[in-house]
Amino acid sequence: MIALTTVLKVKNAETGSTVDMELEAENTINEIIESAASFWHKDPGAYVLRRGKKVLGGSLTVKDANLVSGDVLELIPDPEGG
Amino acid sequence: MLVALRIGYEKDDRLDRAKRIEWLDVDRISRSSVLVLGAGALGNEVVKNLVLSGFKELAIVDFDRVERSNLSRCVFFSEMDALQGTHKAEALARAAMALVPGVFIKPIVGQVENLTMEDFEKHDLVFGCLDNFNARLHANSHSRSAGVPYIDGGMQGTIGKVFVSLPDGPCLECASNITHSRIAALRYSCTGRDVSFFMPPVPAEITTTSIVSALAVREGLRVLSKNAERLDGQMIYYDGGRNVCEVFEIDIDTHCPNHSRSSRGRSEDEATISR
Repeated sequence: MIALTTVLKVKNAETGSTVDMELEAENTINEIIESAASFWHKDPGAYVLRRGKKVLGGSLTVKDANLVSGDVLELIPDPEGG
Repeated sequence: MLVALRIGYEKDDRLDRAKRIEWLDVDRISRSSVLVLGAGALGNEVVKNLVLSGFKELAIVDFDRVERSNLSRCVFFSEMDALQGTHKAEALARAAMALVPGVFIKPIVGQVENLTMEDFEKHDLVFGCLDNFNARLHANSHSRSAGVPYIDGGMQGTIGKVFVSLPDGPCLECASNITHSRIAALRYSCTGRDVSFFMPPVPAEITTTSIVSALAVREGLRVLSKNAERLDGQMIYYDGGRNVCEVFEIDIDTHCPNHSRSSRGRSEDEATISR
């Protein structure tokens, strides 16, 4: 049986560049963030992933977050300084 | 009893203009106690906005001392403070009390992570003006357990955020992920104690600090004013590079340690992120 995959786009808020990602329903937001951060060689730091106006928690799965093919997620820095 | 109106009465009241804003509960604000965590750039601006807004009772927590590199963003610190290495909490408390008569500010020189639940319960509102995620987690979980609203601010370069967490809504940890865990873990050795490691200073400048602190204090004023529209459980995200300000929603995460079971009675160790 062929597993259904979701193909979505992740955008780097700091550079504007994008990458397509092929995901399975059980993949998590943590995994998406890790892959994208690694792909763009991001500096160590905190980032969050948002879809539209919603920030997605790291433990959510693709299925939990209702992500569908064609969605655009944006990786944005979560500022730590005070 | 009939009170005669005195010509020019409005000029003598420091808070006369604020009282003209319908939703703003100036009376409640003046009776509220605020805990400010962090006396750096954000702490300075937040305290300035708080005392000018009518708050009269504050406590400020910071273990650090004033350095010259703080002076471009900290309105209450002086060259003398930097020269003498004054504790930030003490310098900030002293200068802010001098700005507005009748305000009492208690400086607490110490680590945020050493504050107990009782320290949080004494206050009506907590502001996080911190520079690391571990301290934020401590503030987040303890405010929540104490039933006190927590407003967290953060900045990096020209980017800033303000998150409003109320005891019955989503919290800071609901919006966290593996990158936060990694940053938190960097600060610990295998013994679980703080270690020193090189972390380059975060880029910062005063205009972003001013905007983020103003947004944070405005949300604090809203939380204490019953008739105000509030941003419970939402994050204001400001990008000064693009001149964009957006409001993001955060859902309660059922895997979050503060939501998966009752947060009351969590131990100090449990209040830090699981590594």
